[in-house]
Amino acid sequence: MKKGVLIAFEGIDGSGKSSQASLLKDWIEMKRDAYLTEWNSSEWIHDIIKEAKKKDLLTPLTFSLIHATDFADRYERYILPMLKSGFVVICDRYIYTAYVRDTVRGVKLDWVKKLYSFAIKPDVTFYIRVQPEVALERIKKSKRKIKPQEAGADIFPGLPPEEGFLKYQTLIVEMYDKIAKDENFVIIDGNKTPKEIQMEIRKVVGEYIDNSV
Amino acid sequence: MSILIIAFEGIEGSGRTAHLEAVKRYLEKKGYGVVIMGLQMSKLIGDRIAQVKKDIIFERRTLFLAYVTDLADQLENYIKPSLDAGFIALADGYVLTLESWGLVRGLEREWMEDVLSVFPKPTLSFTLISSPEEIIKRIIKKRGYLDPLSTGIDLCIKDDIYTAYESYINRFQEALISLSNKENIIHTDREFEEVNKEIVMRIDQLTS
Repeated sequence: MKKGVLIAFEGIDGSGKSSQASLLKDWIEMKRDAYLTEWNSSEWIHDIIKEAKKKDLLTPLTFSLIHATDFADRYERYILPMLKSGFVVICDRYIYTAYVRDTVRGVKLDWVKKLYSFAIKPDVTFYIRVQPEVALERIKKSKRKIKPQEAGADIFPGLPPEEGFLKYQTLIVEMYDKIAKDENFVIIDGNKTPKEIQMEIRKVVGEYIDNSV
Repeated sequence: MSILIIAFEGIEGSGRTAHLEAVKRYLEKKGYGVVIMGLQMSKLIGDRIAQVKKDIIFERRTLFLAYVTDLADQLENYIKPSLDAGFIALADGYVLTLESWGLVRGLEREWMEDVLSVFPKPTLSFTLISSPEEIIKRIIKKRGYLDPLSTGIDLCIKDDIYTAYESYINRFQEALISLSNKENIIHTDREFEEVNKEIVMRIDQLTS
């Protein structure tokens, strides 16, 4: 049934995965139809999530469910029809983001896996792995503020942003590492230069694309 | 006190809300504190579902998960704290209603039950069943017309809205009956008082 190719990017905030996903899309678009979708970007849900986070209305369970709803909306509306019609679909974060973020908040991994069991597994999942300290340095260099959700403000309220960031992202890295093997992540060393990383990614993706036509 | 949830399951027009309200009055008269939850009633996402429903009518899984999120928000932020304070929760539509909605739309029963397993089991559950004729009449009386969005129009595109609705109600209720315990099924196409008596009798057994 599926003719397209599904590529997922995972990694902590500040790992550089969004830039890599976007560079990859530009490259693929030279030869194939490509579509890039970001986590938490459903047209009708993302503003509710944003508002709810701001007002601290979400519990671990509703945090999990509302993100699943957001994902399902993008999955049914864009990802699945595009895969069926042969697109290369690139996901800047996929179901594994929910696996790690939900379990860090205390929801059982087994249940989260079942919740997302309707989603097909990616052909390739790139896990851009960096230490939280490195990601934090990058964010500071780019002169933007750490967002509350990047600092896990809901589970570590009251911590200064930098401290919260390190604590929260460390838990996330641990979870990613835990599931990396089972989920066949292609682990990329995020300490390399963006260009080196992109080359490594293109090499892997090139094979899939050539073989899938 | 343990969590006490009484669920009224059924399609819109099955008498869910009317019987829930009657039970609420009854319990309050007996001195119980009562809180109400129901489908599309959460602060978090209830209104938004109503707004976007017509745009995502073929995104069944999304809509199902939105309904689940909606119920979860009510349970976690409103119902659980009240139950801790000794209230009884009445649910105007609960997990079986959602599951029936999904079943008739082809969602996998196992998946839905896995997802819904995070909700507390109701202490008592009533499955309200009525004839399509009766249900449709009730809805016309209440709204003045049949709303295409709640008639299962995404399932039954037919010549006229009445036939579409009739066939949808039959499919929905078949699904709901298949999910319910036989002894919980209550037929509501009778005198209201008679049905209410039957429900109250069951609740008395529980609270005595």
